[in-house]
Amino acid sequence: MEKIRISHTGYEVREARILRVTRLTESDKLFELALVGGEILDFEPGQFVEVSLVGIGEAPISLSSSPTQRKSFELCVRAVGRLTHALHRLEPGDVVGIRGPFGVGFPITKLIGHDLLLVAGGIGLAPLRSLIKYILDNRRDFGRVHVLFGCRDPQNLLFQDEIEEWQRRMDVGFQCTVDRADPDWKGNVGLVTSLIPGIDINPEETFAVMVGPPVMYRFVIAELLKKGIPESQIVLSLERHMKCGLGKCGHCQIHDIYCCQDGPVFFYERIKNLKGAI
Amino acid sequence: MEYAVLPKSALGSFVDALRQYGKVIAPVAKSERHFAFEEVTDARDIALKYIPTILPPKKYFMPQYETLAEYDIREGQKLYPVVEVEHIVLFGVHTCDLAGIQCLDVVFSDRPKDLNYLVRRGYVTIIGLECNEYCDQYASCGLMGTFLPQGGYDLFFTDLGDYFFVHVGTQRGEDIVANFSLFQRAESRHFWDLQLLRAKKAEIFRPEVPVDRFLLPRMFQEGFEAKVWEDVGNRCLSCANCTNVCPTCYCFDVKDVMNLDLRTGKRIRVWDSCQNEPFAKIASGESFRAERSDRKRHRFNRKFSYPVKRYNRFFCTGCGRCSRVCMAKIDLKETIAQLARETGYLKV
Amino acid sequence: MMKAPKVAFFDFTCCEGCQLQVANLGELLLELLDSIDLVEFRETMSERWDGVYDVAIVEGSITTPHDVARIRKIRERSKTLIAYGSCATIGGVNGMKNAFDLEEIKRYVYGESAKFFETLPTKPVHEVVPVEYFVHGCPVYQPEFLEVLKCALLGIPYHVPDVAVCVECKFNENVCFYERGITCLGPITRAGCNSWCINNGNICYGCRGMVSNPNEKGFLEVLRQYGISLEFLLRRMDMYNACRILKGAGMVYEEKRAH
Repeated sequence: MEKIRISHTGYEVREARILRVTRLTESDKLFELALVGGEILDFEPGQFVEVSLVGIGEAPISLSSSPTQRKSFELCVRAVGRLTHALHRLEPGDVVGIRGPFGVGFPITKLIGHDLLLVAGGIGLAPLRSLIKYILDNRRDFGRVHVLFGCRDPQNLLFQDEIEEWQRRMDVGFQCTVDRADPDWKGNVGLVTSLIPGIDINPEETFAVMVGPPVMYRFVIAELLKKGIPESQIVLSLERHMKCGLGKCGHCQIHDIYCCQDGPVFFYERIKNLKGAI
Repeated sequence: MEYAVLPKSALGSFVDALRQYGKVIAPVAKSERHFAFEEVTDARDIALKYIPTILPPKKYFMPQYETLAEYDIREGQKLYPVVEVEHIVLFGVHTCDLAGIQCLDVVFSDRPKDLNYLVRRGYVTIIGLECNEYCDQYASCGLMGTFLPQGGYDLFFTDLGDYFFVHVGTQRGEDIVANFSLFQRAESRHFWDLQLLRAKKAEIFRPEVPVDRFLLPRMFQEGFEAKVWEDVGNRCLSCANCTNVCPTCYCFDVKDVMNLDLRTGKRIRVWDSCQNEPFAKIASGESFRAERSDRKRHRFNRKFSYPVKRYNRFFCTGCGRCSRVCMAKIDLKETIAQLARETGYLKV
Repeated sequence: MMKAPKVAFFDFTCCEGCQLQVANLGELLLELLDSIDLVEFRETMSERWDGVYDVAIVEGSITTPHDVARIRKIRERSKTLIAYGSCATIGGVNGMKNAFDLEEIKRYVYGESAKFFETLPTKPVHEVVPVEYFVHGCPVYQPEFLEVLKCALLGIPYHVPDVAVCVECKFNENVCFYERGITCLGPITRAGCNSWCINNGNICYGCRGMVSNPNEKGFLEVLRQYGISLEFLLRRMDMYNACRILKGAGMVYEEKRAH
């Protein structure tokens, strides 16, 4: 058996150095990275990268920062598997491998000029944060912006400092709720769906964008439709285990769709009849 | 010369001559009813009459374990992509398996291209071999229309008694024929023999299930909630035999293997299967095809519906391997028939 | 370069066959010894060590009060614990005694001297102390043992494949026993052994334990089709998986009780 070195196979990585690590919750950390050599990672909010550590493997992680940040990018990582646990042990200065970005991000060009209702559940805030920050950096491009975020309990609240900042801003309506409060919690208690009826929007002008677990999608979509938002203006991101990112390995397939290439962001219309999608 | 004939008596020396193009791989008997593609050094070991091998030839195009890249942790996170190749000559590939290789070609040529597959493919010479009759009751090449050659080979052999009729499909095939003196130009009587065989085959090879092939994608769409899925789901043991032996199943897992020095190692891909319990699990532990019925339906749709939409091609080649190897006796033809009955697509 | 990790092997109720597999690694063992500091290994050395073990590798099941005390002590002194071999990971052959009255069993084995021996129902190691890594098999499959040890040394998890032995068996292009009319436990036993037994002409005895969610109902139906009695199969299953019966896991066992 002859071994040939080849290039551009889709499996090579670019090295990225960790600039900063911030602990967000007991099991989540935010990594700020920059490609070694100064190259800029060219991505869209909603896309993901495969993070690689040789000897350990790869895991798909969605980009958490806005591309407007340019010099560096951020990944919010929950320690759940082999690679993510290993990532949590790394420190600033350490290097990881990056493949991608992959997939189709949020349809920003279609969102421009419209009102937006952004909904995140749990770790879904990580990819949605990329869009939120992009919008705030290009605030004039968009109409009214509402952000709703629901999470299990106050201990699992991601990006607390930023949430406080978003809540203070006058150009975005940010509301947050927890399923279970603790004695210190002063905010809303209940599912994120409970916030939707109270939002004042013009449904014809509004695009809803959401990222969260399937169970949240089912209930939020019902509320959005009740609000009168057309199916063609509902956008969501589907979580699957993208192993190759190249539309081949089959792990992220839903019917004839490869999430890693055709998604992970879809218009609701596209996937609503695909059983098992949400 | 586009058509040639080779006397059967010359097969031995032809196989010897093939060795200059690479390791010769051909079907050999593992038992009376079991065959496998293996290296042969003696043409007498080749099973000229064989039912589909346990594993299809895909193992030479995307091996069970395949190195994608190598690393050395002393060099940080750098990965060096590699492809392991070997010149081989696949002799005796049936038309169903040629169709299977064509399916893989399509998938891996689709963007983003898969260089590991495409580079390796260039090292393989393919010599097809016609089935003159049905292999066994599991085949459905009549339904899938794969019992006749439709390209995908360098040379194609048809056994016509004391000689092989040979179609030359590529320049590589032409070079092989030109370099071996025992090939003769095909004459009209040879074409006549071939036509006779093909006419006979057209009578034998009929759709094994009375459904219209071109309506299958629609039937699978409409039958998404059919009872048949629950039924096969209850019987399925999730052993993944059906996907591993399928000539067009190409799903894989990617993982790292460290060498004992704990410094160097490789990133490999390994065949994986949508029938395996953990296949569609995500980080949180949720599985999007938790039920066996979901997984079985997914597999069938990946043969008869999804790829037709995406690549305009059926990914079932009618080889019958999945039915042959299923210990729960989930039969592809029966499943299609049952679905057709439920959805009203069964022709009466 | 950091100091070589201290690695020790221990055995409980077992045949020490798994240690033999390790001793038989040959050249690989020498290569492995480059990266570790082997401090205890009864099969090949007599030295003892009284410090902290980076990796303790434990063979055998826990079957006496003395075993319980000893494994707890080992655990206290070990940063990482690997249970290896069916006896340690699933109870293995030793689990068979759990189907009998313990006093009766004691008398059967030790006769007159039974009163000198204390005994407990067989337990796999993880039912007594926490275990980080599992290497299933009777005996362990050498390449998997090495894979797990590498993971332990690198501090990354090893996931036992939760897929059937059939998967690897097909990779190896074996002729399926079912096609020859012989039943085999491959379809419900978890992979990772590279279908070692079947490659060598034997059936799978299920020594690695079952996959997490076997289709027991479907499997019974397959047995029925092949004319195999449930009783026959359960006896075969019990050889290694008897410990599971105690937990009442799965309907094959429920049905057995009903019989």
